[in-house]
Amino acid sequence: MLLHLLVLAPFVAAILMVMTSKEDSKSSSRLAILMGIAFMAMATALVYGGDISTEPIEWFRIPGVKGPVHYYLYSHALASWMVFLSCGLSLVALISARGITCRSYRNFAIGIFSLMGAMNGTFLAADAVLFFFFFEAMVIPAAVLIAGFGGKDRMKAAMTFAIYTLVGSAPMMVALWYLLTIADNSMLMSLAIALQSLPEGTQNVLLICFLLAFLVKTPIFPFHGWQAITYAEAPAPLSAILTGAMSKAGVFGFITWVLPIFPLSLNAVSCMMWLGLFTAVYGALMALRATDGKKLLAFSSMGHLGLAVAGVFSLSEAMFPAVLVLLVAHGISAGAQFFLMGIAERMTGTRELDQLGGLSSKNPVFSTLFGFAGVMALAVPGTAGFVGEFTVLLALWDMGPLPAIVAGFTLILSAAYMLRFIQKVIFGKQAREYEEGERTTLLEGTSVGIMLLLLLVFGFHPAFITDTLARGEATDDAVAAQVLSDASINQGNAPMTADEIHQLDSTLAAAGFKDDERASIIAQMTKDADSEENAENTVKEASDAE
Amino acid sequence: MELQAIYVQILALVIFAIGLIVAVSRRNVFFVLMGVELALNAVNLSFVGFAKTLPNDLSVVGQIVPLFSIAIAAAEACVGLAMVILIFRNRESVDADTYSNMKG
Amino acid sequence: MISLWLIPLFPLLGCILLGAIAVISSGSRKGPAEGFVGALAVLFPALSFLSVALLALDMPEAGIRETLCNWIDIPMFRVEFGFLFDGLSRIMLLFVTGIGTLITLYSTGYMHGDRGFARYFAYINLFLFSMIVLVLSDNLLLTFLGWEGVGLCSYLLIGFWNKDLKNCQAANKAFIVNRVGDIGFILGMLCLVTIGGSAILNYDALMNFIQMIINGNHLDLVVPFLSVAGILFFIGCTGKSAQIPLLTWLPDAMAGPTPVSALIHAATMVTSGVYLLARLASMFAILPVVLNIILIIGMLTAFWAAVAGLFQNDIKKVLAYSTISQLGYMFMASGVCAFDASIFHVFTHAFFKAALFLGAGAVIHALAGEQDMRKMGGLLKKTPVTSCVMIFAFLAIVGFPGFAGFWSKDLILERIYTNCTMALPAFTFFGAEVPSIQLNSIIYMVGLATAVITAVYMGRLIILTFFGSYRGSKESEEHIHEAPASMLIPMVILAFGAVFAGYFWADSIGIKFFADTLAPVVGSAQAYNASAVTIHVNPMVFAAFGTLAALGGMFIAYKIYANARIPAAKGSSAPEGRKATWTFLFDSIHKYVGIIPVNVLAWICDVVVDKILAAAQWTIGAIATILGDGAASFQVRKVRVQVALSIVGLIALVAIVLLTGGTL
Repeated sequence: MLLHLLVLAPFVAAILMVMTSKEDSKSSSRLAILMGIAFMAMATALVYGGDISTEPIEWFRIPGVKGPVHYYLYSHALASWMVFLSCGLSLVALISARGITCRSYRNFAIGIFSLMGAMNGTFLAADAVLFFFFFEAMVIPAAVLIAGFGGKDRMKAAMTFAIYTLVGSAPMMVALWYLLTIADNSMLMSLAIALQSLPEGTQNVLLICFLLAFLVKTPIFPFHGWQAITYAEAPAPLSAILTGAMSKAGVFGFITWVLPIFPLSLNAVSCMMWLGLFTAVYGALMALRATDGKKLLAFSSMGHLGLAVAGVFSLSEAMFPAVLVLLVAHGISAGAQFFLMGIAERMTGTRELDQLGGLSSKNPVFSTLFGFAGVMALAVPGTAGFVGEFTVLLALWDMGPLPAIVAGFTLILSAAYMLRFIQKVIFGKQAREYEEGERTTLLEGTSVGIMLLLLLVFGFHPAFITDTLARGEATDDAVAAQVLSDASINQGNAPMTADEIHQLDSTLAAAGFKDDERASIIAQMTKDADSEENAENTVKEASDAE
Repeated sequence: MELQAIYVQILALVIFAIGLIVAVSRRNVFFVLMGVELALNAVNLSFVGFAKTLPNDLSVVGQIVPLFSIAIAAAEACVGLAMVILIFRNRESVDADTYSNMKG
Repeated sequence: MISLWLIPLFPLLGCILLGAIAVISSGSRKGPAEGFVGALAVLFPALSFLSVALLALDMPEAGIRETLCNWIDIPMFRVEFGFLFDGLSRIMLLFVTGIGTLITLYSTGYMHGDRGFARYFAYINLFLFSMIVLVLSDNLLLTFLGWEGVGLCSYLLIGFWNKDLKNCQAANKAFIVNRVGDIGFILGMLCLVTIGGSAILNYDALMNFIQMIINGNHLDLVVPFLSVAGILFFIGCTGKSAQIPLLTWLPDAMAGPTPVSALIHAATMVTSGVYLLARLASMFAILPVVLNIILIIGMLTAFWAAVAGLFQNDIKKVLAYSTISQLGYMFMASGVCAFDASIFHVFTHAFFKAALFLGAGAVIHALAGEQDMRKMGGLLKKTPVTSCVMIFAFLAIVGFPGFAGFWSKDLILERIYTNCTMALPAFTFFGAEVPSIQLNSIIYMVGLATAVITAVYMGRLIILTFFGSYRGSKESEEHIHEAPASMLIPMVILAFGAVFAGYFWADSIGIKFFADTLAPVVGSAQAYNASAVTIHVNPMVFAAFGTLAALGGMFIAYKIYANARIPAAKGSSAPEGRKATWTFLFDSIHKYVGIIPVNVLAWICDVVVDKILAAAQWTIGAIATILGDGAASFQVRKVRVQVALSIVGLIALVAIVLLTGGTL
């Protein structure tokens, strides 16, 4: 129920917002914020409520495909934290948008709610087609919001963003469709099994198609062309959501869709890891030269996400908690920074770094928040960013010292550009005269303050995040069983051939199941008392062969 | 004397052809719409005609489908006329050839 | 019994309270009441000093260990919040909290009337919290928390007067240079984790691990890896303790308020590198290569900084270079495995250098912000107390017999001579066989020469500031006044320390209290290398040489500066010409090795790579647009023609299907 609410209720909320008064932005904002708080509460309940899944509901059938598409939601630790980010950042965006959208607040809220629903759907979908549907659906409200509320170049930014990301995921659609034509249904496991039957060349083509979509979304060099202009032109609250939650969909895709489906070769893994590291360095270097505050933050996000992707493809044992903590920390801190940059832009009317400055004496409360957010982004120990980056470094160290040294180099660069950023915005003297816009409101200040506080709390006690993973392990078996049972239902009663069993076995082995577990799962699949022995034999043969 | 089914079909064909010719050859957008309606109704007539000739269990289809298509035609006419009126307000013209702003 | 976690908790509370006051009062015109804020600011460090003192009195021999809770707990990596209170952390904590309290008290006078009064003390309390965590933690990662925390506070405090962008740049430089070292620290930790799992980040476990290796004779296996880790940790230390090559930030850091320079950039934070070496003594003891590197780096730093100190006109810059030089001494001591001597020098140095800085602060305060020594002079009569404090501290730093620096510096020089086993291997030079050369005497001579130079530049400072006649403007002369009591009391206490702190370990008169208290921590490590000691020289000889060096240096300073005409101060107090080349040697190295390559890389990314990508994108977009335009030209303008065409097309389709029988 919670899952359904999180995915569908935002759309209902958007429709509700349509009914509110267009002129009176106060009342509509009140409603929007109340609903935002409700979603936030639900997301928190999801994070600490354990892993749950809904009953799969048959949705529609794609012609030429064996199984139907299910409306099937499933939450695990990573997904629930991503939902937490998307709901949390949307709430703060709804709060801080009051100052910048003025009269058309209602339309902004409609967009934010639809975006939130699409993001939640992306993170919670257990069905590949459903995932892809939401993955694409995210783009539309975001592009509309950019076109409606952005800065000077908003039309260009919206077009770039929409076309780039949609085109980027088009190959994935084709690849997915191709996989579906040979898979039994569109669940993860059957896709993985289906892939096993393909020749290696085809597998690689499919892999590249999948990777491309996520590389563009994250974004990873050289597919970052849309990012700087989009983040810079989008209204600041939206930029915060885009970087804090939406860009995580890319990393999320790598972890939940690419890694389980594709048996990655060592080359592919190290290639992706170096791509991530290169992005981290590239983003940091670009941020060093950025003259626009929001572009600087955009490149900084790119750098951090590059590090996260590098961490994912280190495939170390510590990878999963490390990346999770890094993503959550980055989501919160980059979000907070974008919100604050938005406030700075509102107050001074510019986001050019050379035109800013001297805010610390003029507006101490804002500057305190700004300075702290900057310091948190530096990954100083005691903040969640440190835990994330340190553990990612640990994971990278597994691949050898060189990746870790490169990652360390990016940490130095990040200090350089972030300190420059802080100095340019709040220190020194005021660069020019301007009419001061609305200052930080109490609600804004409090919400950003709470975000920063959360970073501290997670920094000193990351178990709040990592423990949700440990809980996940216990339920993993249950989920695996469920996924398998779905698969076996669709199998019908036709007994599996020895070849199929062998395939399944190697898939499971790749997924890290132990010998006896594999045997029992295969036995379940075949549902045949005799074949249990067979299964054991198969497993034995396989492990002997290894 | 019973009506021959083929005559009904011939009539439908004639009406359809008239409708099509009107829709293609007239420039006044109202005539175009009328032509389209005429063609549509010709198809309905054709359905009814087949309802007569087909065996009983299938003939029902020939009577139901025209009912649907009449209802939809009504809706379509509404929307079409509304659009025509709106375009007319903008363009001050009922000449269909002047409506070319959809061209990319 | 007081729990250990209370010690860092007090300053943390103070920081939160004062921070809240600072933020809340930021809107008001007048700012918070200084008396109240000052009292709060001193209270918390004092409380934590008290608890340290109480704990220190009845500390069991093995120390106190306390584990609070888990910090990071993931597969492959598990670290806890744990505290370790033993001989080493006891000494460090005593003087960190003690001097911290004194300097906070001093600051209440020094920062009087500043707009950011509460903010300043919030930072100071945060600094003390981090520093306490640094020395009290029982594992490397928690130490690293304090390590970066003090770096952060140093950044905040250097850039405290942030209206002036110069201060901000100095602060940024300090943080970034420190970051370079910190990456070394992180990688060093990762290296250790690879060798022995995350458990050996704990100091006790690391010590046991090393012991196990020694007992099991597995040195050959582990030493290469440990050496890498050791060098990485040492890079971290060079960053924090301003050693070659990462020392450029410390002179710039003098942009901060003077009490900050005294507390952070002289007494406590910069010595954390020395602390870390002592903490990891058991590891470094088995790494002769790393020890030699430390020794050489320490020697070069001490000498280079002492010479640079000669060239400075800014009173605080002289002290900054002298700090670097003294830190070099401490590293030399660590490099010959004399960790107790290095910590002893940390201890005495904290007193006399803090006294010197506070004295300099009082001078600057008296002269309304003037820092150029060429505009001072003759202050002895006008500010007698300050002058006395400075002169006592001066005697301590040059190693005048009986003063604190004498005991510690002599101890270091003695250990260098006796412990150093480094030797140039025998080699052939133009056919001539050059025998292997023992380097201990050479290094000892460099150390002694550095001591002479120290006496010269410190003598110059004292003479230029306090003797002769006043060289500033007439108007400013009338305003010269002695500092208020809140500033004088800490200075006098520190001056006492500068005189008497050395008697905790006065080898020549048989007091070995300090060595005994450190023995449980570093004793075994030093014993491991002690077997190599073969040279035996009467300690009195070293004392005599040390005294000679101090006296000689003072004499030279007197000869050169007492009657010399001081060139009138021109605009900047920065050194010029060849002096500048020497002073800014490492700045220019950083520029060519670090900053310019990074900027060039960034330029390439921004201007070349990004533009190429943009062009590629544009090309693809242009192709799509051209194709689209081409397709659009198939469209006919007239609606009716389109309808007709579509009907024709339909007919054609039907015809084809009929003609081929639908089996195309």
